[in-house]
Amino acid sequence: MSGNNSKLLKIRALDVSYGSVQVLFGIDLDVTPGEIVSIIGPNGAGKSTVIKAVIGIAPAQRGSIHFKGREITRQPAHEIPALGIGYVPQGRIVFAEMTVTENLEMGAFLLKDGKRVRDAVDRVFSEFPRLHERRKQNAGRLSGGEQQMLAIGRALMLDPELVILDEPSLGLSPKYVDIIFEKLMGLKEQGRTLLMVEQNAARALSVSDHAYALELGKNRFSDTGQALLNNTDVRKMYLGGA
Amino acid sequence: MMELLDPIVLTQFAVGGILAGALYALLACGLNLVFGVMKVINLAHAELMLLGSFLTWLLFTTFEIHPLVALPFIMVVLFFFGYGLQRVLIERIVGTTELSSLMVTYGLAIIMMNLGLLIFSSDFKAVPALQGAWFLWDEIIISIPRGVAGIVALLVTLSVYLFLEKARIGKAIRAVAEHADVALICGIDVVKIRMITFGLSAAMAGAAGVMLSMIYSFSPETGPDFILKCFAIIIIGGMGNFAGAFFGGLLLGVVEAFTAGFISTQWAEGVAYMLLVIILLVRPTGLRGKAHA
Ligand SMILES: Nc1ncnc2c1ncn2[C@@H]1O[C@H](COP(=O)(O)OP(=O)(O)OP(=O)(O)O)[C@@H](O)[C@H]1O
Ligand SMILES: [Mg+2]
Repeated sequence: MSGNNSKLLKIRALDVSYGSVQVLFGIDLDVTPGEIVSIIGPNGAGKSTVIKAVIGIAPAQRGSIHFKGREITRQPAHEIPALGIGYVPQGRIVFAEMTVTENLEMGAFLLKDGKRVRDAVDRVFSEFPRLHERRKQNAGRLSGGEQQMLAIGRALMLDPELVILDEPSLGLSPKYVDIIFEKLMGLKEQGRTLLMVEQNAARALSVSDHAYALELGKNRFSDTGQALLNNTDVRKMYLGGA
Repeated sequence: MMELLDPIVLTQFAVGGILAGALYALLACGLNLVFGVMKVINLAHAELMLLGSFLTWLLFTTFEIHPLVALPFIMVVLFFFGYGLQRVLIERIVGTTELSSLMVTYGLAIIMMNLGLLIFSSDFKAVPALQGAWFLWDEIIISIPRGVAGIVALLVTLSVYLFLEKARIGKAIRAVAEHADVALICGIDVVKIRMITFGLSAAMAGAAGVMLSMIYSFSPETGPDFILKCFAIIIIGGMGNFAGAFFGGLLLGVVEAFTAGFISTQWAEGVAYMLLVIILLVRPTGLRGKAHA
């Protein structure tokens, strides 16, 4: 398990600054194929920044990021989807003035063959029947939970190996939180690997094979999800209780 | 006054207004497209139009090429001119303050205007390629150059609209307009999409310039009148909204035609700004703008 090639994603000593403000300090993180890996931490800890660095929209100053053994540290963001990485942004951002179908089509922008795009759209619709029902509506008219499904569906259009999700349950009703977590488990069963950031730390740890707790841009704890869930320090600092 | 209320006269005004408005619509949609995608107000948009007009004039006077034949060629030239301009200049101001984008595009407008004066002088030019008139139901007169210009302007605007709605690249342009960051992680090369967008906008301006050359006389200093009206139109129609700019353009054409007919042509020139004030008083976000655009 410790061999280099057994890691799907490998982050080493990652520093990221926005302008003159450094927000990540030497982050290390590994994602093994087939696992769910979570990043937890308080607001502003730098969780989103870690995944933004992976997908090329935050600048990595130092350190390295490898995906499937290949260095992607400063790969331009628009080249990331072709590698097999799908991304679901924080705040379930969809193209509000485009239809549900068009949103999904954008997820497969790299495919120039219309037939393959339609097949991918149909595949996502079969996974999310609710989206199919609303396919002709503008995404701005969907409920929050539906928009999150759409954002996930869009990230699945190119059939990625690694799906990166930023706060997938944030701001959703309890019913949709359950639905989304069920979907995430489903993605894992399909053999996909998930890296996610979650505010709902207890819930995230309970489904995670591994998890990383960040504090002020540094690694603070990392272990299996279950071990962190039982760790008293983690409980005190991140789970809001004993 | 009574004969002004004659339905024939009213129809005459309306038809004339829509044809003139179609040209405004084409120009304003191009301006609004760039604003919608990159939040840059291109003050040189009317100069791009005049580049199309002068190219038409050159081709017509030196090679006797008909403007309608020159149209596709001029649109292609303007597309690549806009594409290059985005690459070397406009891309640098994307995401900066609106003030710096105004200053850079104003500078560009001044440079283009002065180059125009150097090369072509301030004399007015015209391209009298089409003449004559059509008669609808024997009573409504449409000058052929105005009729053709209006119809071509409508067709070009409609084609661009369909491209944005249906084509793969057109949809990507809309996606970049909404969320450039998310478009990027969908694999869309956002910088390239912005170059295509500016090229498209310039090609629309070029097409408007070809049409303009057939119906008005123009000089390198004709730009400011048009850019101010386009400004009024996109504010009326909603900033960044394609359909809004289209209907705003038609509305201005019709209102100008009625003002010219009922009051005077001098008044018609100022009516754009009166319309702007009235609409903003009633609906501060424009006809089709969103409350928190
Ligand atoms: N584009 C940016 N420019 C400047 N500073 C930024 C930018 N994005 C984030 N930051 C800052 O970097 C720090 C880490 O932000 P980040 O979004 O990674 O935190 P987070 O852990 O995801 O927080 P949250 O739980 O609020 O989403 C914060 O202090 C934030 O203010
Ligand atoms: Mg975050």
